[in-house]
Amino acid sequence: MLFSIASNAQIGDTEKQADTLVYKQKYGLRLGGDIGKIARSVIDKEYTGFEIIGDYRLSKKLYIAGELGTEERRIATDFLDVTAKGSYFKAGIDYNTYTNWLDMQNMIYTGFRVGVSTFSQTQNQFTIYNTDQYWNNQSINTDAIEYNGLSAIWAELVIGLKAELFTNLYAGLNIQIKAMVSQDQPVDFENLYVPGFNRTYDSGRFGLGFGYSLSYLVPIFKKDKKVVLEKETN
Amino acid sequence: MKKYFILISFVVIVITSITFLGCERDDICSEATSTTPHLIIRFYDIDNPNNLKQVRQLEIVGLDENDMPLSEDILSRTETDSINLPLNFQDQDVITTTRFQLEKNADYSDDVDSDGEQDLTTSSNPDIISITYTPEFIYVSRACGYKSIFNLDETQGIQRDGSAQGDDDTWITSFEIINQTIENENAAQIIIYH
Repeated sequence: MLFSIASNAQIGDTEKQADTLVYKQKYGLRLGGDIGKIARSVIDKEYTGFEIIGDYRLSKKLYIAGELGTEERRIATDFLDVTAKGSYFKAGIDYNTYTNWLDMQNMIYTGFRVGVSTFSQTQNQFTIYNTDQYWNNQSINTDAIEYNGLSAIWAELVIGLKAELFTNLYAGLNIQIKAMVSQDQPVDFENLYVPGFNRTYDSGRFGLGFGYSLSYLVPIFKKDKKVVLEKETN
Repeated sequence: MKKYFILISFVVIVITSITFLGCERDDICSEATSTTPHLIIRFYDIDNPNNLKQVRQLEIVGLDENDMPLSEDILSRTETDSINLPLNFQDQDVITTTRFQLEKNADYSDDVDSDGEQDLTTSSNPDIISITYTPEFIYVSRACGYKSIFNLDETQGIQRDGSAQGDDDTWITSFEIINQTIENENAAQIIIYH
């Protein structure tokens, strides 16, 4: 059922010879962008982000994958107003656990990434936290301070899926669980947001991210593949 | 089946992401966090400097830049040997002075004699102290932002108005700075003898 829908376009390439099935298998570089970040840039005026994603099939199960992006995020509370801005690069592998039917390239995968980011943090404003307002005199400091040349390295565990919506066009979803390895913190301050890593937490080095992607498979390779009955050979 | 699996995974991921984005638990500054501290003063007995001595009916009020008492009391008519004073500050690294009026036997100011006039045989005794310090801003956390700590001035950390300022009847005899830096509320920074 699934096969008949997803591979409608290639149905002509498939032929039956006794018990053997031969079909064209396409694979190559899949390129796309994170539509979640674009949507959020439109909705959330404190956020601007853009990410290019790509993966390349090494073997049936193993893909090289990476993301390249840029983000700007303002975090403003009653006491602190900070803007983080920078770009990042993530590279790693995806391991496909989904057994595809014939010529499909759908994935349910787990992956691993190493991410690096270079960014700056600008402290736009801060108000001293003082529980006693006897003097009715809030100390508000509006001199912007910019901390430049910050960097961070982290590792990510990715769980996600990619499914072909239309011919060669894939929609993807993933969750990233991140662990900070090392980061440059401003003197007498800290990184509240790291582009690519997302917000940091007081409680520890872990972070969380989500991706909603749309990508296009550039079919670099096409090869005939024989399948004997339903037994998979590779 | 596989199609359903993909659909279910999709729903799970979307729900999880919404749930996580909604809860940001370390964005609230907990009360347990040490933020901008009060100045802590303890009162000791001048005749017996190792012993705490309570001040009878102490009323404390801050003085504004024109030396006028603020309408709100910091402490109202309490017998105590320990006080917490809020320090006024605006800018980092700027020497700042806050003045407080410490009125002993504050209830005596209400005493009236048999004619309904103020009883002049008993009177309250206000003393004015000046605390001079330099604020220093220190980063606490994402939720609390910055706090200010205060470095008491070496020579003029605490001063009391005496006869030179028109107060001939002072109850505060002397004082001592025991901690130059006010960075938490764990222990007293100044001792007043009376």
